Amino acid sequence: MKRDDTMAIQEALSAIVKSNVSADSQNWLESVIQSADQSNKISQAFVMVPRKTGKSVIQLNEAQKVSIAAAGISYISNWTIDRLCRVWLLSNLNAADQEKLYATVDRLFLSAEMSEAVALYSALPFLAHPEIWVKRCAEGIRSNIGSVLEAIMENNPYPSENLDDAAWNQLVLKAFFTEKDIRHIVGLDERANLELALTLIDYANERWAAGRKVHPQLWRLVGKFINAEIFEHLKVGLMHYDQIEQRAIALAVAQSDYQPAKDYIHTFPELKLALSEGNLNWDSF
Amino acid sequence: MCCSSSIERDKALMGEPEAFDISAVKGMKFFDPHVHMTSRTTDDYQAMADAGVVALIEPAFWLGQPRTGLDSFRDYYSSLIGWERFRSSQFGIKHYCTIGLNSREANNESLAEQVMEILPLFVYKEGVVGIGEIGFDDQTAAEEKYYRLQLELAKEAGLPIQVHTPHRDKKKGTQRSMDIALEHGLDPYSVIIDHNNEETVKEVLDRGFWAAFTIYPFTKMGNERMVEIVKQYGPERIMVNSAADWGISDPLAVPKTAALMKMRGLSDQDIELVTYRNAITAFAQSGQLDEADFNAQKNVDLTEKFEGNTILRGGQQPRTDKSSIIIS
Ligand SMILES: [Zn+2]
Repeated sequence: MKRDDTMAIQEALSAIVKSNVSADSQNWLESVIQSADQSNKISQAFVMVPRKTGKSVIQLNEAQKVSIAAAGISYISNWTIDRLCRVWLLSNLNAADQEKLYATVDRLFLSAEMSEAVALYSALPFLAHPEIWVKRCAEGIRSNIGSVLEAIMENNPYPSENLDDAAWNQLVLKAFFTEKDIRHIVGLDERANLELALTLIDYANERWAAGRKVHPQLWRLVGKFINAEIFEHLKVGLMHYDQIEQRAIALAVAQSDYQPAKDYIHTFPELKLALSEGNLNWDSF
Repeated sequence: MCCSSSIERDKALMGEPEAFDISAVKGMKFFDPHVHMTSRTTDDYQAMADAGVVALIEPAFWLGQPRTGLDSFRDYYSSLIGWERFRSSQFGIKHYCTIGLNSREANNESLAEQVMEILPLFVYKEGVVGIGEIGFDDQTAAEEKYYRLQLELAKEAGLPIQVHTPHRDKKKGTQRSMDIALEHGLDPYSVIIDHNNEETVKEVLDRGFWAAFTIYPFTKMGNERMVEIVKQYGPERIMVNSAADWGISDPLAVPKTAALMKMRGLSDQDIELVTYRNAITAFAQSGQLDEADFNAQKNVDLTEKFEGNTILRGGQQPRTDKSSIIIS
């Protein structure tokens, strides 16, 4: 997240928190933020939040919807109030002392239960010094808990902006394995890379060998990198005659520069037709 | 229970294993307020869900061998509110826990001191419905010291207390646990005294505490005796649990006891109180237990719910048909 956006985001979050908690809870939150012993108080408050705020999904008025859209954080609109408050509390941690900030947040990670872990990973894009959370985020991708993985993988701009290729590829691969909503991975197309495409093709071959289907979104990450070798794998996929997989492969090919594959797709009349109609796109899978 | 066991001896004591006939209590809901799922398998979760267990409490326990450092306590507490709670949710069972320093482990005082420092970090977490299981094992001075410290913590946090009573010298240990709780100004209505038997139940109830009974083969309560206790004392402030752990124990003890009660003529209303409602009433004093939460858990579509967790590796289905020889 760019620093100049920080103020706007902070203001948007504050306004939404205020309009979604009682006056008592609001006073409590304010006293926590303004405490002299801020990092300790915020840590304690982080744990206590659901008792003060409940766990309902937040309500937004029109102006708030506009402000979060402008700040690029529309994805928070389906968060629960405890999740939002926790993220907001962390975003208020004093950024000047980087070591202290790290120690405070790291300690919360160490003893986090599930909904705390969800809030902590959701907070990564809102924390200062984004580079210091890279290892923690990569560690989170190793989690076994669905909701925690979703918090990292879906609608979270932190991973694509900060992870190295190895960790990023792991995130995408694991998202397929754990059946996350691939369309909600932020930066998916921008971070596509050859290494990932090859790994996903291996994965597709494993699935086919086991008699299972392949998620159509997988081909979206392959398109840019189609070459003679990858083309051979695509042919295998096209021979499975699963209509959805075929269409996804056709779309990937259409978005590539590899002419032999394009020519080959045109030998399938239905695929040629579907492409020429122009209504195939990645949102349709 | 472990060392001299043989299949012949087990059969002589327990009889041939017999399939549990759920039909007597079909459609009833159960709450097991004391079960150590960390040491159980996913098959147990499936069987419990099938038998009507909708929610449970996992008290912090010991591992069967002593922990050697603080980090293993921290990881254990974290797993109770994290991975284990998630695993339970995959079977539609709402998982709560109680957090505490076990009496046996209170005897390693230098470690116990460190554990006391991290307990406040855990007792305020969501879904922590009490301090437990704490109390006496050997009835040493160290056990008493940490029992008292944890009573104070419970008071401060406004949480119920789940008291483990000792196997040896039980009657005295139980009385002493209650005396000390009252000495610290705790309301007996917030204290659940566990592992009762015929010798302890009357005093526990007379003094206003909750009396929990553990149906555990050989060592604790049998469920035929349990039926008689409810007949004699009535259902008020009594609750039944399995305390199933890594020993020879039965995670279906609560529904099985309910079935036996039904067959022995107890009313549905009494059965519901001792196998479901009383535990909810007692632990809801934490403010962390809401019956609506476990109904919501139950209503989640299983195929949805299994999406993207890793008990199930890629492509596995939530249920396997155990009667089929084909594993696909
Ligand atoms: Zn126990």
